[in-house]
Amino acid sequence: MNQIQSIMGQMLAPKYLAWLIDGLWMTLLLSAIVAVLATLLGIVIAAARSSRRRCWSLPASGFLSIFRNTPLLVQLFFWYFGVSGLLPESSVEWLNTVHGVALGPYLKLTWPSFELLCAIFGLSLYSAAYISEEIRSGMRGVAPAQRLAAAALGLNRWQGLRYVILPQAIRVALPPLLGQYMNIIKNTSLTMAIGLAELSYTSRQVEAQTFKTFQAFGVATLFYIAAIALIETTGQLIRRKQRLAAGAQR
Amino acid sequence: MSMQFRVLTDNLPYLLWGAYPDGPLGGAALTVLLSAGSALASALLGLVLGIALSLLRSWPHLLLTMVLGLLRAIPVLMLIFWTYFLLPIVFHIDVPGVLSVMCALALIGGAYLAHSVHAGISGVRAGQWDAGLSLGMTRTAVLRYIVLPQALQMMLPSFVNQWVTLIKDSSLAYIVGVGELSFVAAQVNSRVMIYPAEIFLFIGLIYFVLCSGLGLFAGRVAAYFQATTT
Repeated sequence: MNQIQSIMGQMLAPKYLAWLIDGLWMTLLLSAIVAVLATLLGIVIAAARSSRRRCWSLPASGFLSIFRNTPLLVQLFFWYFGVSGLLPESSVEWLNTVHGVALGPYLKLTWPSFELLCAIFGLSLYSAAYISEEIRSGMRGVAPAQRLAAAALGLNRWQGLRYVILPQAIRVALPPLLGQYMNIIKNTSLTMAIGLAELSYTSRQVEAQTFKTFQAFGVATLFYIAAIALIETTGQLIRRKQRLAAGAQR
Repeated sequence: MSMQFRVLTDNLPYLLWGAYPDGPLGGAALTVLLSAGSALASALLGLVLGIALSLLRSWPHLLLTMVLGLLRAIPVLMLIFWTYFLLPIVFHIDVPGVLSVMCALALIGGAYLAHSVHAGISGVRAGQWDAGLSLGMTRTAVLRYIVLPQALQMMLPSFVNQWVTLIKDSSLAYIVGVGELSFVAAQVNSRVMIYPAEIFLFIGLIYFVLCSGLGLFAGRVAAYFQATTT
């Protein structure tokens, strides 16, 4: 009993909770940006991969193979340490300095830090490799007759993809896509290795400052679980809505 | 921007097996060991939990589903923090870093594989169960001799996918200072300073060979099984 008490100890001071909440905010912001970019890029890669032209499909499958068979951590290190070495010095300096655009007296847009830019770039490429495969299997789930019907209506290949195939494919691919969005949230934890102050980074910081190991990691873990649960519930709501809509059509 | 590969040949032994034999094993060799150990542990754990998931009913089933869901909801990194920082406090023993990372990887891998095993077992037709039971076999015997051999074959691809993920996730041991491939690479990088792109491209290549090699090997095995059964 005594031992449990010593592990649980007291709660974290408000100051440290605020650190963790800042970390959560960064995790959610990064996840949202990456989810949007990776989905857009994933659609492009899926389209290229299912193209009959080898000059499109070959590079796409090469991209998938490289990005899926190497660890995200090494990819982040490459973008963070490697690319800044390959870029001309002046542009690195520009990226590292703070740029701000003042929009009125209160709102000010600041250029993100180099760490955040690398995290967005690296995570988006990595996640796009997984998302594109989900979208591609979604596209295969759409009956081939749909493509023919689109062509018969006089839509060109791009229009057919945009207005006929993709809307149906996204619906089929929604559950695995949401799974990938959960993976994005979990994968943002790796960006602490390049020094981005997201949730895992701040939890480690709080742990080092307070020695309250259990509380620091406990709160961070709860935050992650809450974020994942939010996506799960959203998915169930969307599915219920789709079922209702499908029922109403009949 | 011209690439310099001297930095790789100079540090090759250190990247491949760390300070061994003068010091502890590290580098790519430790990555392979760490992955192999957690792959084995995750397979066993996944098999046991998957079978439990198929056999349990009512609240124990619900409890197990919740625990597995929890394990799949937290980042691997967070679980490594838990095992690395908390295991020594709780048990008052010194747990080596490699072991605590292996523990975390096995838990996550096991949680994912349990669902594949469960799906594989449910994928075997109910008639197979009935046939076994009508022959007078016990439920365990039916599972052991009839259902599992069929289910395992179906599960092979998800096991391989999970193991590829494991190899990649073993790089997270870097965060707690275990001297595997990513860690020694970061070490060499901060010592040399000027050739980061070369170093991390090379490290990526080693991981690529490990991961895609495992995928190719598994494809061969699957093809072999298919050839022998049909």
